[in-house]
Amino acid sequence: MSNIPNVKTTPTLGGGSGLFKKEDYWAVWIGLGTVILAIILWAAGSKVMPSLAISFPAWDNFAKVSAYLGTHLGGIIGLWFCFLIVFSVAVKILGHDLKAFVPGFTILFILGVLVSILGASTTAKKWSLEAPLMALLVGLIIGNFVPIPKWLDTAFRTEFYVKTGIVLMGATLPFTLILQSGPMAFLQATIVAVSTFLTIYWAGTRLFGLDKRFSTALAAGGSICGVSAAIAIGGSVKAEKNHVSVAISLVVVWAVIMVFLLPILIKVLHIAPGPGGAWIGTSEFADAAGIAAAASINEQAIKTFTLMKVVGRDMFVGIWCFIMAMISVTKWEKRDDGTKPSGKEIWVRFPKFVLGFFAASIIVTLLLAFVDAPTAKSVKASIIAPISMIRLWAFIFTFLCIGLTTRFKDLAAVGWRPFAAFTTGVLVNVPLGYILSVIVLGGYWEMVK
Amino acid sequence: MRAGNETCVQKVRFSFALFGKSGWKERESPWQRLSRNKGVSPVVLRASKDFLTWRLERIATMMELLLAAHGEWGLASRKDQVVMETETLDFNQALQVLRQHGFRDDEFVLTVEYSRKWGVL
Repeated sequence: MSNIPNVKTTPTLGGGSGLFKKEDYWAVWIGLGTVILAIILWAAGSKVMPSLAISFPAWDNFAKVSAYLGTHLGGIIGLWFCFLIVFSVAVKILGHDLKAFVPGFTILFILGVLVSILGASTTAKKWSLEAPLMALLVGLIIGNFVPIPKWLDTAFRTEFYVKTGIVLMGATLPFTLILQSGPMAFLQATIVAVSTFLTIYWAGTRLFGLDKRFSTALAAGGSICGVSAAIAIGGSVKAEKNHVSVAISLVVVWAVIMVFLLPILIKVLHIAPGPGGAWIGTSEFADAAGIAAAASINEQAIKTFTLMKVVGRDMFVGIWCFIMAMISVTKWEKRDDGTKPSGKEIWVRFPKFVLGFFAASIIVTLLLAFVDAPTAKSVKASIIAPISMIRLWAFIFTFLCIGLTTRFKDLAAVGWRPFAAFTTGVLVNVPLGYILSVIVLGGYWEMVK
Repeated sequence: MRAGNETCVQKVRFSFALFGKSGWKERESPWQRLSRNKGVSPVVLRASKDFLTWRLERIATMMELLLAAHGEWGLASRKDQVVMETETLDFNQALQVLRQHGFRDDEFVLTVEYSRKWGVL
């Protein structure tokens, strides 16, 4: 053993745990930075933030769009420039290629403007293809049928944009609402998540003869918070790589199906936006896809979706990991390789952008609490309304990126047994989400505005 | 969708504790006795020396085996452990290499982390 072959080793290991080395933290810095800057500009009497609140008016004659473009061109260019600067700083420090990101993001922004214009047309509205679903659809068509140069991939950062959007979302949700509705969201989400998890695990191990760890990764993906949970819990229980790949593929496929299916069901069944958003928050598999589905309904649906998904489900992925790692080590593993789960895992797995979401909510809630009624009106018009618009743009980039990056030919083939196990969970998750969100707690979610 | 497609990256990390019991034949290693101030004596010191020699040799052998099995590892040393990390060797293969050469699972800590491949929702 004295002759070590010519191996490539590195002197230090990539840590990446610092406050500037993770996308999650950058979403927090960008989101909170925007909120604080908006407050400073408002205090200084500046009208910069309202000028960045670009929202295309509904149109049936393109002259209306031309007129809007004529009067708001400066705002559109300003919005592009601001996004480009802050995202570029983050992307550079995160170690990605800025030369590819700048033109890539510019193309994404132009696509965002185009889908916003198309989504604002009365024809699109008639077909329920407003900006969110339009962006998703356009992205899916381009991503799956048009050859996209590899360098453009640097700009398609779905997770980054959605996390930034969720932090900005915090500024538009009163913290009192989060405190009031958070426990209810947690209760509902936990009932559905536990039921779905156990169903998929049971179906996987008992009905379809899958390995316990494989079934756990599938169950986590189908019940807790989609791909994030599948990879976190897949690692905790030492699931096989190909099994985690299959779990991810199933989450992606079902998430894309649900983006279209849930809003259609909500409209067909005449479900009010509040309960509708709560249902999406309970039964959709991924944050980005869920926001797209909720945004296709209205603002209230986005709020109840966020409460359910972010506050009720995402926050607890660390606890799930800890529990599953404990079960894996104490019950399943025949080996004793020293990997005892630690409580630290709960914090390590905690999605840090949720902290930014809470912080943004607290900052704006406190600001509103200390001003009189006329000033509060001004805060809403000059801070909250522009932030809502900027958030919508972050989500439009997200929806485009979902479509552009969901290339079905790149997903792992799954086989019928994992598909059947996961689908059994879907058959429990979706009706149970409906029963709790609409029948049992519909009145409650309708009042959350 | 193709059978060979992968949607995640697997990061495998082996941590080798320098001073832990880690497969030592007795319930407590001499080093553990020494560090807990349980009777300092020349005999305990010599036993600790033997333990450390044995333990460091075991770690070096495990490292050599893993390096021989795979060419891309990140190596790092910390105050109480040596760490090896890779994203290009499956953890089952690495475990098999160590087990085939008689190493027990309590001589190392294996951590498996997954991250989504680029672009996954």
